[in-house]
Amino acid sequence: MTLPAFVNEPILELRRRDARDALEAGMARLEPKLPIKAPALIGRDRSDGDALVSTDPGNPDRAIALAPLCTANDAKRAVEVAATAAPAWAATPAADRAAALVRAAAWMRERRHELAALAVRECAKPWGEADADVAEAIDFLEYYARGALALDRGANLLQVPGEQNTMRYAARGVCAVIAPWNFPVAIPCGMTAAALATGNTVVLKPAEQSPGCGAMVAEALRAGGVPPEAISLVPGLGDVGAALVADPRVHTIAFTGSAPVGLEILKRAADVPDGQRHIKRVVAELGGKNCVIVDGDADLDDAVPAIVRSAFVYAGQKCSAAARVLVHEAIADTLLERVGGALATLQVGQADAFGTDVPPVIEREAQERVARFAQLAEREGRIVARHKEVPAAGWFCAPTVATGLPPQSDVLTEEIFGPLLTVEAVRDVDDALDRVDGLRQALTGGLFCRNPRTVERVAARTPVGNLYVNRHITGAMVGRQPFGGNRLSGTGTKAGGPDYLLQFVEPRVVTENTVRHGLVV
Amino acid sequence: MTPVADADVLEIGRTLAAALPTRRSLRALDDKAMGLASHDAELRAALFRFVDVVPACRSLDDLARHLAGFLDEVGDRPMPLDVAMRMANSKAGRATLGAAAAAGVRHMAHRFIVAETPRDAERIMRGLWEDGVGTSVDLLGEATVTSAEADGYAARCAEALDQLTRVYAPLPERAALEADSIGPIARANLSVKVSALTPLLRPDAPELGKSDAAPRLRDLLRRARELGAHLHIDMESFDSREAITDLVLELLSEDEFRDGPSAGIVLQAYLVDSPALCDRITSWAAEHPRAHPLSVRLVKGAYWDHEIVEARQHGWTAPVFEVKAQSDRNFEALTVRLLEARPHVRPMIASHNLRSVAHAIAANAATGADPRDVEFQVLRGLGDDLQHALAHEGYRVRTYCPVGDLVAGMAYLVRRLLENTSNEGFLMLQAEGHSLEELLSAP
Repeated sequence: MTLPAFVNEPILELRRRDARDALEAGMARLEPKLPIKAPALIGRDRSDGDALVSTDPGNPDRAIALAPLCTANDAKRAVEVAATAAPAWAATPAADRAAALVRAAAWMRERRHELAALAVRECAKPWGEADADVAEAIDFLEYYARGALALDRGANLLQVPGEQNTMRYAARGVCAVIAPWNFPVAIPCGMTAAALATGNTVVLKPAEQSPGCGAMVAEALRAGGVPPEAISLVPGLGDVGAALVADPRVHTIAFTGSAPVGLEILKRAADVPDGQRHIKRVVAELGGKNCVIVDGDADLDDAVPAIVRSAFVYAGQKCSAAARVLVHEAIADTLLERVGGALATLQVGQADAFGTDVPPVIEREAQERVARFAQLAEREGRIVARHKEVPAAGWFCAPTVATGLPPQSDVLTEEIFGPLLTVEAVRDVDDALDRVDGLRQALTGGLFCRNPRTVERVAARTPVGNLYVNRHITGAMVGRQPFGGNRLSGTGTKAGGPDYLLQFVEPRVVTENTVRHGLVV
Repeated sequence: MTPVADADVLEIGRTLAAALPTRRSLRALDDKAMGLASHDAELRAALFRFVDVVPACRSLDDLARHLAGFLDEVGDRPMPLDVAMRMANSKAGRATLGAAAAAGVRHMAHRFIVAETPRDAERIMRGLWEDGVGTSVDLLGEATVTSAEADGYAARCAEALDQLTRVYAPLPERAALEADSIGPIARANLSVKVSALTPLLRPDAPELGKSDAAPRLRDLLRRARELGAHLHIDMESFDSREAITDLVLELLSEDEFRDGPSAGIVLQAYLVDSPALCDRITSWAAEHPRAHPLSVRLVKGAYWDHEIVEARQHGWTAPVFEVKAQSDRNFEALTVRLLEARPHVRPMIASHNLRSVAHAIAANAATGADPRDVEFQVLRGLGDDLQHALAHEGYRVRTYCPVGDLVAGMAYLVRRLLENTSNEGFLMLQAEGHSLEELLSAP
């Protein structure tokens, strides 16, 4: 089987009115269905419920999806089903598995407007972001389908007379996928697609905040032809995730989320209880504390909008979002003034209004966390700009820029995951690099600079997983910007990259002696 | 109307070509440097990146380091550039190299950017007027990312309207420039950019930018009306096309602007859907009679590379014609439609392509209209020769004159350099010695 070369699913051309109308029509189709039922799917068992309710962050009284609250026991049942089904799915030809993923992509493509609308409602993703989320989910399906086909051909080894060497990649077994809410379609879809493409069966636990979007991922895969036993869905809370991680029948854990949870998963996964005959592998994408370095020769006409976009779009709720600006002291005052002025132009509002930059954050706890950091920034440093008009209803946070913070301040080292940006003047690029180097996280980074030699120097020295030069630092594209961090930002894997699938397989080498009685047979 | 005969176009083109001035040696030197760049993609990239960063360099040393950094990436360096690279190795060398390079860029900038302020441009504007050439002044500026910057630009525009009025008031009468069959034509003429009048131009939310820019543009329209000046609203990339078009047509529909000022919009012929926009504009003009009919500047479009790159990056069909001949053909078709839409609109044909200009002259003649009932526009620094020839032959010609400092003008300068070194450009083909018949043949 060969598939046409991978191309990214085009995001909608929202500068054209008909594209915007199509999204609003998708919302009009979705609205009467709300709240949707997001079931638990364990093999062929489907159960509905309303113990887990996701709500609209912009209108917290409104339910968007109703799901049952799975228990640790449900998780075990789902692993049981997945473990039983694993040999058959692994034995399914790679081409058939790839075809199922491609059909799942087509299913999503047909419903992209409605899916985006669901992400708008359930996670308050502004339209453009929600559309990109769905497009990225489609990309993951298409990209990993192709990657798995290539992997199925095995690796090339040296061959000498009388010896035949082959290297193949076998599925590892059951994969537990524990997904975040901030890319409620793309990330669960990506981790699940990678596991399925390579012949693993999956138990997917969507984030408790976005069971509706998670259900769409499972539905797409099943509609595409993935057997129900190979993809189970267990909406629930942390105990479900913990049960999956601890289960000795789970081989791989794919997690995207916060650093504390990720480190806990790594610790738990290292336990090998009696009867477990494998070492678990953890693929973890954790948070960042992402810095944008602005050298003295930067074009602020480009840098200011890019920084503001990187820090505040989607209320800063991306792992890749900008948190700190490290700007050359020669232009620091100008930059601060322009960033502060640009902050006032940000559109803070409901996600379903075109043009909204800063929607509400996901939940009350997030709003409180951001507020705590903003207070800390005010106490330890100075607030340069704070957005004035923020709607009262919904989990809104005022976009804020702070400066003058002491180096050890939590505001400069902890991931805030909200619309709070700090600016520091630095002596030069090396000073900035030292500060980046001082962080525990190393996910994304930005550099605004027009000297090619400086660009090379920064690229060589920065530890971050994704460095963006002279552009915004969010919006990694599958196949173009394989995404993932280093240090405590993750296990160093690259989602949407050429070697991501290797995390989901075990290599097996067969060497056959082909010499018999001195003859090569 | 009577179809335009190619023989007429050829004859008009020949006459204009004969009126082109012989080239000055200084200009020829510039052209040579740009010619070199147009044939070597790496060198071209290095040149653009260097020109782009000049205003941000804080010392001659810094400037030289940047230059060396860019040249480092040029694989096959012509001899003088190797010398430059060696100079960059010492401090003294860098000072000399930096000074030379800065002077070079300044020289190049002055070809396209007339002065730092409208007041400083007075001498040039007066000279052009004496030569029978009008101007439309464009205030270069940094990108508008804050409301304060939008207010600042609007204030500079208002001031420029005053200054232009003062500059032009005492100049002697130039009948050719001051009226067409429809009526009087303003002397002072300012072009403004909506992207500088608001920080809120969002491709996916045209309403936002439109409503934010409207009060500032309304004030400028009022000022232009009081002064009797012409205000032209430029078109930019496709991302803002809907917002700009809606903004201009909506504001000019307001009762208070029915009697003025003279105002205009731009139609970009490289846009695939420009015929539909042309229809919209001409029907709007027919339905909204104004004391000064809407001016429509027809251009090919200056954001072609940007549009193509953006479309490729997003997997979209580009909004522009990918083949240059398609734009050229469309330009001629739109020329005819605008000429036919008179007296509701005043067509302004803005091109440096001798064929496109000759075609417009022939098409105008075919309608039986007076030669002065169509205006020609060129860009300062790129269309100087054509401007001279058109004025010499008695056509109404206006030169688009950017005003501003080097920092602010860089984006503009780089775009103009791109245009000048594009291999398909008319000016380049002409410089390469293509025959007049070839250059004047139908696209």
